[in-house]
Amino acid sequence: MTAYTERSQGSPWADFLSEQAQVLSIAFFFLVCVVFFAMTTDTFMTLGNLLNVIRQAAPILIVAVAMTFVIITGGIDLSVGSQVALVNAVAAIALAAGLPWPVVVVAMLCFGALIGLGQGWFVAYQGIPAFIVTLAGLSMLRGIALYLTQGYSIPIKGVPGFFALGRGELFGIPVPALIAIAVAILGYVVITSTRYGRQVVAVGSNMEAARRVGMPARWAIASVYVVAGVASALAGLLIAARLGSGSSNAAVGFELQVIAAVVLGGTSLMGGRGTIVGTILGTLTIAVIGNGLILLHISPFFTQIVTGAIILIAIWLNTRIFTANFRFGFARGNRP
Amino acid sequence: MTGEQQENAVAVGSGRVNPARNGMAGGGRVPRIALRNIRKNFGSLQALRGVDLDIYPGECLGLVGDNAAGKSTLTKIISGTYIPDDGTIHLDGEPVRFSGPADARRRNIEMVFQDLSLCDHIDVAGNLFLGREVTRGPFLDRKTMLSEARKMLDALEIRIPRLTSKVAQLSGGQRQAIAIARAASFDPKVLIMDEPTSALAVAEVEAVLSLINRVKATGVSVILITHRLQDLFRVCDRIAVMYEGTKVAERSIAETDLEDLVKLIVGEKDER
Repeated sequence: MTAYTERSQGSPWADFLSEQAQVLSIAFFFLVCVVFFAMTTDTFMTLGNLLNVIRQAAPILIVAVAMTFVIITGGIDLSVGSQVALVNAVAAIALAAGLPWPVVVVAMLCFGALIGLGQGWFVAYQGIPAFIVTLAGLSMLRGIALYLTQGYSIPIKGVPGFFALGRGELFGIPVPALIAIAVAILGYVVITSTRYGRQVVAVGSNMEAARRVGMPARWAIASVYVVAGVASALAGLLIAARLGSGSSNAAVGFELQVIAAVVLGGTSLMGGRGTIVGTILGTLTIAVIGNGLILLHISPFFTQIVTGAIILIAIWLNTRIFTANFRFGFARGNRP
Repeated sequence: MTGEQQENAVAVGSGRVNPARNGMAGGGRVPRIALRNIRKNFGSLQALRGVDLDIYPGECLGLVGDNAAGKSTLTKIISGTYIPDDGTIHLDGEPVRFSGPADARRRNIEMVFQDLSLCDHIDVAGNLFLGREVTRGPFLDRKTMLSEARKMLDALEIRIPRLTSKVAQLSGGQRQAIAIARAASFDPKVLIMDEPTSALAVAEVEAVLSLINRVKATGVSVILITHRLQDLFRVCDRIAVMYEGTKVAERSIAETDLEDLVKLIVGEKDER
């Protein structure tokens, strides 16, 4: 028998640490933020404030879970903010026209899927880079929303069932947060334990290999934009239900928050690698920073600067850790 | 034969013949795959100018030749990637005409590519089952895939300690072994390998060569393309030499040596 090149088997724990390094580092970062704001403000750790944080983070988390799928395939969806605004506006128009709210909810989710399918078709079947397709979407969809509303905010009145989606509570937890948690769990299970999830990872990891083994590679790529469309529609509905109005100016800059959350969670923009757990932590970190800075009475304009700086530093550290092949012990930023 | 006749022939010849799986090559038996007068042009370039080739069950055929001699074009025709302009292909004596790579794979022709068709971010077991995941209900059946993957690797004596490691963590030889194991697990009749050893370290080359011998021993017809001529003598039964789109020589391994092969490849013809 030939002696095969075999290494002595190291501890699986070491492998686990190096594979999970990015999630562990963002978890650490998240805890640092929480501890910092808990110590510097009186109100941060109150139940009311924490519920407020997760209620506001809910739409971002829902779309960020879908965005994780998109980025794992090596794509990107810049149009999610515009999709949220369009759904937000159209839902308000439909409700104002007197359509029953359950019909509106289902119709909007289908509408989101349709938008996603259109973008996905261009990306997967026509080979146009996702960046270009969704950049066009970003402009067009927001434009449609502006045109439909003429720039006005459309009030939604007298649909308590619909408002419950955005303002209600169940067992003391805000309904949007519950929906977001359900979406995150669903996303986690799908990406780790289903054949579809495996296809998404495979096309992001090695498109050619996925195609050769007979996976529906193009469809897998197109489908993640459908997922993003449905998630954006859901987020748009939750925002409309919370604010009680629909506006074409909703969710400005939303796509950047979502992408930042996903990337902060360790998902690689090159595709193939990404985790839902990381995305959840990334979303919560951004939400906590935004909330904490307001509680510290720092100018709201400053929040954007800090958020941007933290994203850059976090990604920089992550990149350094990986390119230099550091062990986890160095993952906390103390570069030698 | 015209295209239409060939289409008809496919319809007749789609039933599978049960081939004798072991045994030595040659000697009046039906070739696993037989190519006759294969021609292929790309625009003005005559990539293949009438190639005849037979490969028998359980045999390894080495395909050598300089760059652009037509080796890759020929294997792509066997694997269904290209459709020949002229000529016939017989699989186990039945005329076939592949409509594409998927068609060729359905007829148990597998190819291992030079550029490693593995997904780095998926574990070893996941890669072995890529595209045909075992599921229980809506979920992946990890347990079954892990134990089956272990069996697949054990059968070919491939040693990989942990099947849950990501493929990116493995060495080039281990990765190539996984790619070959995956192709072999599809129960192929013909397994085409394009430069499987070109990027490997010495010990890894040895491992892959003995792996090829084990695959061959299961009755698979192996076609090996390589620039490493010394490898041919380790695994091949016959060697076909391509030159400028034609097959210029075919040698049984016993009746040739390195020097002879080099002469044949560069086109310095001797009259043997």
